[in-house]
Amino acid sequence: MTGLDSSNVSSTTAGGQPPAATPVSKIAPPVTPKLSIWEWVKENLFSSPFNCGLTVVTTVILLAIFRGLLAFIFNPVRQWNGVATNLRLMMTRAYPEEQYVRIWVCVAVILILTSLSMAIWHAGSALSVSEVGRKLLTTGTILVLFALLAPFSTAATMLWLLVALVVLGFAEFLRRSSRGLEGQTISTLTLLVLTLSGLVASLWVIPYGHHSYIPKRDPRVLAEPGTVALSTKLPWTLMLVIAVVAYFTGRALRDRLPANATRITLIVLWLLAPPALLYLVLRDPAFDMNHVATTDLPIFAAYAIGGTALLSWLTRPSTGELGRIVSAIILLAGFCSFLTPMRMIVRIDMLALAIFALAAPTFSGGPRAQKRYVASWIGLLGVMSWLITAINTPSTVSVPGGFFIGGMSITLMVAVFTLVISFPLGIALALARTSSMPIFRLLATWFIEFVRGIPLITILIFFSIMVPLFLPRGMHLGEVAAVIIGYVLFSSAYLAENVRGGLQSITRGQQEAADAVGMTSAQKTLFIVLPQALRVSIPPLVGHCIGVFKETSLLAIIGVFDILYIGRIVIPGQTEFMGSTKENVLFVSLIYWIFAYQMSKASQRLEQRTGLGER
Amino acid sequence: MTDPTTAETPTETIRDLSKARDVIVCENVSKWYGDFQALDRVSATIKEQEVVVVLGPSGSGKSTWIRCINRLEQHQEGRIVVDDVELTNDLRNIEKVRSEVGMVFQQFNLFPHLTILDNVTLAPIWVRKKPRPEAESQAMALLERVGIPEQAQKYPGQLSGGQQQRVAIARALAMEPRIMLFDEPTSALDPEMIKEVLDVMKTLAESGMTMMVVTHEMGFAKEVADRLIFMEGGQIVEQNSTEEFFSNPTEERTKLFLSQIL
Repeated sequence: MTGLDSSNVSSTTAGGQPPAATPVSKIAPPVTPKLSIWEWVKENLFSSPFNCGLTVVTTVILLAIFRGLLAFIFNPVRQWNGVATNLRLMMTRAYPEEQYVRIWVCVAVILILTSLSMAIWHAGSALSVSEVGRKLLTTGTILVLFALLAPFSTAATMLWLLVALVVLGFAEFLRRSSRGLEGQTISTLTLLVLTLSGLVASLWVIPYGHHSYIPKRDPRVLAEPGTVALSTKLPWTLMLVIAVVAYFTGRALRDRLPANATRITLIVLWLLAPPALLYLVLRDPAFDMNHVATTDLPIFAAYAIGGTALLSWLTRPSTGELGRIVSAIILLAGFCSFLTPMRMIVRIDMLALAIFALAAPTFSGGPRAQKRYVASWIGLLGVMSWLITAINTPSTVSVPGGFFIGGMSITLMVAVFTLVISFPLGIALALARTSSMPIFRLLATWFIEFVRGIPLITILIFFSIMVPLFLPRGMHLGEVAAVIIGYVLFSSAYLAENVRGGLQSITRGQQEAADAVGMTSAQKTLFIVLPQALRVSIPPLVGHCIGVFKETSLLAIIGVFDILYIGRIVIPGQTEFMGSTKENVLFVSLIYWIFAYQMSKASQRLEQRTGLGER
Repeated sequence: MTDPTTAETPTETIRDLSKARDVIVCENVSKWYGDFQALDRVSATIKEQEVVVVLGPSGSGKSTWIRCINRLEQHQEGRIVVDDVELTNDLRNIEKVRSEVGMVFQQFNLFPHLTILDNVTLAPIWVRKKPRPEAESQAMALLERVGIPEQAQKYPGQLSGGQQQRVAIARALAMEPRIMLFDEPTSALDPEMIKEVLDVMKTLAESGMTMMVVTHEMGFAKEVADRLIFMEGGQIVEQNSTEEFFSNPTEERTKLFLSQIL
């Protein structure tokens, strides 16, 4: 009855019209009474004696932890300067100062891609003013706690309290003034840009750290006027401008270009970015043009022309069985080529061509589909040839000791490469394990069970030390490359199990429906089974991604300078910041957390977007 | 529209099928699940443009039989010939038969991750190798025919059961099949929605499609079927023209069945 009453009241007071004007059959849903803060607290935190006790105990524990943390951070003994001064070391290790613009180019490319993707995939949401007010209220409350709990001097405490009160006052003002403007919203992206602008602006004002890392000097850190902020304020300002410009360009393009084509182009660019940035921009190979013209280009041309001829024949619907036999022979030849000495690129190209040839009937069709397929072969071949040539060419960037990048860059690089390569491999393993062909099933099961039974560290050590010894003469594998291969194998075994869980959730009816319209098993897998299986496995897959990202820190054990290793060993070894391990590790864990949290948020958005659990 | 089913439209109620070609021929088809015999020497012939309704109690092998015809189940003995192609383990024959035979399932089995339009166009584009624009205009025409063109951009989960089943029919028709199989198409539907699906099936039958329907809808059988087949225990107990079957059943078991459901 209450529901009915309240709805009547609201309709008459709000609309000011007699109820007869609105359809009588429609009764508005009952209005849930809005609780004030005190009522909410009473209902949720102090509803029963047990609940009271729990609330008090938890609050005390939380406050104690918060206080301990603040006491640690703001202890005058802490050497936070070590972190600020060595930011560049933590991000890129000893990348040469005079070549540093390459790093900024990479950052710019990634930012441009991110901004374009955000524009084209409609990222960001609208926050109403009252929501912003509520968020600021929480921030203000935390600031008050912060001011009261931190071991500040009285003056500092007063200052912080004043700041907190200003924030609280502004929040309350927003909440009160938002009553009239329900439709007023602010985009989360605007808030993000405002926050980032604030941070970048602070670089112009606050001299974070007192100097930057200067190699080839002893001691390497010198009290010179070159602060971290001095060397990064201009680049970061530029980066912010580039990102904003790219975003608006993306928005302008979004409505003019065909949506699907733009999205596919962007995804391809995202996949190309890591190897291109790493091996072409950061590593800067010194191409030997003579070698390129006499060896690399002819090989590329031969495969491009031969592949075009073969694939246009194979994608003709009339080719039929003979095509499959020919592709199988090429695959066999590709494997046999490892028995005789020849250039690695010839073998890899042949294997790639065999895979394209085997998949050709699935993608065959009209002349347009045929052209697209051949074009994608030439594109892939070109990218592959360029990359392999680049990797095999000596670099112009000389970095003392080991790999040419380190710190956060190598953490990201290993994580991205491992994930990108192990995803297809893991999916293939999962499909093989659920396949009806016993050989595939057996091999996949053995591989997965074997790899899962070995600790990651063992695999990493094996691949970094042992595998280079087993390689045939004349073949070199860099330590980092070897480690990534090992990590890929490890990751793909776990991924396969996650995907297999998704595969098992596909009902038999789906397969039968696909069968009944005459799809081949490749089409069935690609269009029906995998999309649904991957959608179901988003949560465990993202968990896996986060795990892979964090466990790159194990690379330190085999002597790779990742960010954790630098924070734990390298910086505390500098004379000026002797024993600053705790600060550095805390900072490094904050960075790890930011990345992991962003991945987790992205997965939540992905789940919402794909309608997991709804459709 | 290049739909063969609309090209020929014999709308007369009583059709002379004696000269028509045999499109489905089953000879002594048997199948076992372990020790349980699901089909026991089933023999029947279905002619072009004929509408055959298969009746029988639960577990009588109706669904198993109809699923053998497009090889969703394998028969173990006997012969099944569909449109002059014998079903064997040869994958090419199976693919050929499946692209000629459309099937509608009890549980609709729409692809939940694709829009209605994509559900209908997927197979024409990838199996029939049609250009996308052509496949889409054909799909829209089919959705129009089953009465739900306005739902094309929605996902299956947003549609009612009856609408989903009509999409499933459109999806099967998009492959331009010569034969349609219906495996209890209305059993998972509310009574209100059964009619909309049966109406679509009726117009399909009138357009001259060869149809084999497993159903419990006696009204539909009486009105639309040319012939009825009654099964029990994996065997065909009786098959007869619709008129004869209802007015003059010969077997005791058929009489009992009819007395219970009519």
